[in-house]
Amino acid sequence: MVHGKSFAALVAGCCLALGLSAPARSIDLPQTILSAACTVPENDVATAGSLSQLGTKLRSGQPIKIMAIGSSSTFGIGASSRVHTYPSDLRPLMTAALKNTKITVVNRGVSGEVAATTAQRIRDEVEVERPDLLLWQLGTNDALSRVPPDEFASTVNTTLDWLQENHIEVALIGLQYTSKLARDANYISIRDVLFKIAKDRHILYIRRYAAMQFIARTRRNEHLLSADQFHLNDLGYECMAEQVAHAVVASLFVKRFRPAGHK
Amino acid sequence: MARPTNAIDFWRGCALVTIAIDHVPGNLYVNYTLHNYALSDASEIFVFLAGWALRLVADGRAARADPSAAQWRLVRRSGRLYLSQVVFSLLALAILAVAANWLQAPFLYDWNAAGPVFAEPLRGLIGLFTLLTQLGYFNILPLYVVLMLGAPLWIMLYRARPALLLPVSLALYIVALAFHINLPNWPAPGSWFLNPLAWQLIFVLGFSIGGKTGIGLLARRHHRALFYVSLPILALGWAASHWHYAPVSPMTPWLRLFVSFNKTFESPARILNMLALAAAVPGLFEVFHRIGASVTEVFAKLGRNSLSVFCVGSLASLVGQIYRYVVGGGFANDTMIVLSTLLVLWITAWYTENLSPRLWRAAASPLG
Repeated sequence: MVHGKSFAALVAGCCLALGLSAPARSIDLPQTILSAACTVPENDVATAGSLSQLGTKLRSGQPIKIMAIGSSSTFGIGASSRVHTYPSDLRPLMTAALKNTKITVVNRGVSGEVAATTAQRIRDEVEVERPDLLLWQLGTNDALSRVPPDEFASTVNTTLDWLQENHIEVALIGLQYTSKLARDANYISIRDVLFKIAKDRHILYIRRYAAMQFIARTRRNEHLLSADQFHLNDLGYECMAEQVAHAVVASLFVKRFRPAGHK
Repeated sequence: MARPTNAIDFWRGCALVTIAIDHVPGNLYVNYTLHNYALSDASEIFVFLAGWALRLVADGRAARADPSAAQWRLVRRSGRLYLSQVVFSLLALAILAVAANWLQAPFLYDWNAAGPVFAEPLRGLIGLFTLLTQLGYFNILPLYVVLMLGAPLWIMLYRARPALLLPVSLALYIVALAFHINLPNWPAPGSWFLNPLAWQLIFVLGFSIGGKTGIGLLARRHHRALFYVSLPILALGWAASHWHYAPVSPMTPWLRLFVSFNKTFESPARILNMLALAAAVPGLFEVFHRIGASVTEVFAKLGRNSLSVFCVGSLASLVGQIYRYVVGGGFANDTMIVLSTLLVLWITAWYTENLSPRLWRAAASPLG
């Protein structure tokens, strides 16, 4: 797969840019949010995107509301309890990283849902909750329900257009990796379509597949999946939360993308 | 003996077929169902016609002769809907469990939002029995249960103060939308996919327009004018749907749900689109019936037996989803899924009308 601009390089470059912008309240990029068990190369964590509105709100000291929407990985199937889902793990990580900011994470995961259904829920839920950041985890069920990739892309793009018009910043969380699903051609097609959408639209994209694949290949004794070899276990959710938190915090330092010709 | 083919049963049959197709995500024919041409979809038609059918019951000879017996029948009807929801949700869980085991596909445990029930069976089953956990694509019956439980109250109000019926319903709707009030899910977070506090307005509109007095009389008297008024509304609905337009959500919280196309809270634009459909389309039934009475009879048969057809159709759609996972999509597979589903729906309707025990046979009741 073709990678976007180096996530680490973007972060480093944009920290400098942020320093020049003299914010009302400074935010420090933490050394790292990733624990030893969840560490993967920077490029396998995420493809950068700007979260400038979220950054502005953080610098003004206002509380932040994050909505996690998606399917079973967001709901937390496979976790030993509701406090070990990725949205539950995410809040303390974000709070520790962005000191003195009140952060709320709302879990709106519905297991087994395809993107078209989540897209409908996004409109309904966003209007009620009005989050500062939407974390949309998607793709796995579309691939397994054999939704055609172009139809999936159309659903995702239409929803992202609406979110953009409504000034809701979004991060996309990609498909998970399992050795069995890695052999499914439709699964790989949906993964690649999602990556392309995020890249073309300069949206923060959490590369869950790459991160889980790296851990599976390099640390064979470390298991991110539960006994069914599909759903994440507590460690899997912890790593997912760490990678999301790491990518989101780093993206606060990425300047808003401007199309060619704009300064 | 089954009642003769009529427009309500026919359109309800069409809505049931649409719902069954829409509930197999990714299939080719999803691109040709109502929601591609309008802001509203088959759910609105289903609820609107349920209200309409209730009015036929309320104005019927039996209900006027013995109002309390009629009210009791509605409560019993609500109980039957509840039982159907619980039983068919359990059957859906069984299908998913068998398929997940047989195909060695653990993700099937998640489909149709079943994950929480399999993950935490005790709490999940309590949620299922209290309707606070609803499987995906099984959201209409819980709404219908609540609407039917409220039906005796609406009928009492209609008999005592008919002029107050719509204002009370509208007031409840406005409060729900302004303050974002909905019934909760449990144990999963979130709230009902189809909010009864908002959707009751569609039901009451169906009830009001279905009668031959009040706005029902007005609608009949001015049906030609309403037909012409509905055309630009339908054109706008088609354009919005075709170009995936949705209004920007205002920052004022109480205003948001009134200007959006929200389905959970059934925003006004969706209601308007559904009313425009109700004004423009019903005449087509006569045309269809003249051209092909045998086809309209098939759809009307489905509509007459809507509860059993809806329940079995939900399971057929689920099997269609699993089949698509195994063999993939494409024209041939999707056509086979849709045709098989239609056959299953027809057999269900035929069985219900001719052979089933009393529990399901509802041919005597317009409630279907």
